[in-house]
Amino acid sequence: MAINLKPVDVVVIGLGAAGGVAVLPLARAGLNVAGIEAGTWMDPHRDFHADEVYNNVRRLVSSSPKAQRECPTVRATPSQQARSAGVHPMMNAIGGTSIHYWAQSWRLKPWDFRTRSESIRRYGPNSIPAGSTLEDWPVTYDDLEPYYDIIEQEVGVSGKAGNIQGHIDSTGNVFEGPRQREYPMPPLRGAGFTDHMMDAARQLGWKPFRPPAAVNSQPYRGRNPCVFHGYCSAGGCHVGAKNSTATTTIPEGVRTKNLTIFDRAQVTRIITDANGRTTGVNYIRDRKEYFQPGKIVLLAGYTYENSRLLLLSKSKAYPNGLSNNHGQVGRHYFGHWISNVSALFPSDINVWYGLPAQGATVDEWADDSFDHAGLGFIGGASLHVYTERHPIDAAAMSTYGRAPLFGSAWKKFVHENAGRVASTYLQTNTFPYETTFLDLDTEVRDPLGDPVCRITSGGVRENEQRALQHAQNKMEQWFRAAGAIEVTKPPANGPGISTHAYGGTRMGANPETNVVDPWGFSHEAPNLGILGASVMGSSGARNPTLTLQALAWRTAEHLVKNWKSLAG
Amino acid sequence: MIDRMKSSDVSRRELIQSAAFVPLAALLSSAQQTPQAALTPSQMKTLVAFIDRLIPSDELGPGAVASGVQIYIDRVLAGPNASEKDTFIQGLEAVDAYAKRAHGAPLAELSAEKRDQVLNEMIDSPFFNRARRLTLEGMFSDPYYGGNKNFAGWDLIRYPGPRPAVAAEDQAMNVDIKPYRVSAYGSKYGH
Repeated sequence: MAINLKPVDVVVIGLGAAGGVAVLPLARAGLNVAGIEAGTWMDPHRDFHADEVYNNVRRLVSSSPKAQRECPTVRATPSQQARSAGVHPMMNAIGGTSIHYWAQSWRLKPWDFRTRSESIRRYGPNSIPAGSTLEDWPVTYDDLEPYYDIIEQEVGVSGKAGNIQGHIDSTGNVFEGPRQREYPMPPLRGAGFTDHMMDAARQLGWKPFRPPAAVNSQPYRGRNPCVFHGYCSAGGCHVGAKNSTATTTIPEGVRTKNLTIFDRAQVTRIITDANGRTTGVNYIRDRKEYFQPGKIVLLAGYTYENSRLLLLSKSKAYPNGLSNNHGQVGRHYFGHWISNVSALFPSDINVWYGLPAQGATVDEWADDSFDHAGLGFIGGASLHVYTERHPIDAAAMSTYGRAPLFGSAWKKFVHENAGRVASTYLQTNTFPYETTFLDLDTEVRDPLGDPVCRITSGGVRENEQRALQHAQNKMEQWFRAAGAIEVTKPPANGPGISTHAYGGTRMGANPETNVVDPWGFSHEAPNLGILGASVMGSSGARNPTLTLQALAWRTAEHLVKNWKSLAG
Repeated sequence: MIDRMKSSDVSRRELIQSAAFVPLAALLSSAQQTPQAALTPSQMKTLVAFIDRLIPSDELGPGAVASGVQIYIDRVLAGPNASEKDTFIQGLEAVDAYAKRAHGAPLAELSAEKRDQVLNEMIDSPFFNRARRLTLEGMFSDPYYGGNKNFAGWDLIRYPGPRPAVAAEDQAMNVDIKPYRVSAYGSKYGH
């Protein structure tokens, strides 16, 4: 039998990017919060190193045994046998994946919240991709703007505004929605190569800018600025300049004395009563099973675990899984379409140092920044070039048919060219489809005997494919304008498992097609809130973290303001 | 790699008793310097003959063997990569068997030219890809792991090294940056 613990006001499952920010407004409001996290604190001196093998080959900061044992399986269609999707850079730790993320901290565009109606208005009803379940979000950009602002300040984001209350500044992103004020820190400095790429983009008539990052460009609230040492990707920051929730909102929450952290605690079920209200969660810690009662449960795992934990939490009130009486849990899932177009330059570009968030971004070919009439797709991709290259990865470069794969001729080739390769990050507007979804695997189980999550990817998506290919061609044009002598465009394919995974518990006003309401609370279980990209109904052409954090703060604030009605 | 089991294999109690929630880093970092060997002397001979041709010593500097890549590979097969040890050894043995069949002697007894020929003949095989990948890891990783002796790998590709802090001028294009040659784990590694 599980050991019963003292009841709290709010149980938060998972202290990563989403749960890690939601705890702060709750704790500040005086609510008694239990933060339950499968991982533990990571120590910057013991656990973070400037070491490619440690970070990128063995992934010791970006994966954990629990996440690996629960790694989803993937199949293209329901008729296929799902196979392991492989090791996934999903972290269990206080701070979660925000410990090792690239920290690119974007607001979505106003268009992203109204893609369906805006596309129909501008291009007609046939512009909506066939088979997609795309809906307008139940919130607009203007609704979310105050929360974006809060996160930028509380977590700490560097960047340059392109639109402050309608005033356009072309040194920032002119395509962004209006902001109430400037970023709290200036953008990270450019590197020689990213400045060179900015010049090349301007020659093409484009408007490049330095992208926003949750990385300190100067001392911020007592924390250090970035030292650009080149081991940010898949690594933690040993000087504390990367603003994970473990260094920002979680310690702030702890300081209120209203947040109690239960680390190394794996939640196994969310418990509900006969009326369909959640009563708390079961978790395992140090060989013992506990029941943590709470008036409110906020589920804030990664996208795959959010759907899985709901589907596992069956009860009389929810025979098909918690909050799944409308069969929507796991639906409207999708992974972000992301591509790397790489290029070889004729001289040393020197991108060894820096970090992936130190870059140059072009937004002309994303979202609805350009006229799509006659193109056969909606959306597009942001184009991002960046710094940070590690030696093993550099030596493993393509030889572009210019040298053999081994021997003295290969040595000569890498001696000359290892420091001349640029990578890019193209993020495509990606949408949900009827035949792309999550459920529980019928065969593969974790060591507790619980099924792992299963991804059904659903086959070819012509809209995303065309949008990405269009953007890849633009990226090639950009590289050529900058003097690249080789450009490699990989096939435009969708992801299996993804670090940008969305949906499964989509947010919307209609309970027939959405799991949570416009405030992030379950349509079925009134005292269950869900946080994370699992509530997002489209991806935008940029990283999800800032948006899911803004939504998480908004849900927490809604809870504080409506405590009596929600907590019952 | 992923230890995923059927429910019948492991009881809930056993899981609860395992170190399930400790970061991988804490579990594995102490195992990085394991002294035990994965390869027998004869397997090691074949490996050395192989990686010596992948990255030979020449006028551009020391090759894989002089840089200790075989030490890196042996250690990872004994430790963090133990799950691929058997497959890797089968690959090494297959290379030797092929060398005998096609060229009349095990790999280590063939001339450099003949060994290059063997490598070219198997260049599309999974073993070649994997052995090449592990060789790159050994040659270009932090010398803490046993390869990249005297930072020969980093010198080869002109990687400037893991400076603790990087100034703007160290990120300019087309500049020669003074190499910083210190292991992330201290100055006792690398020489």
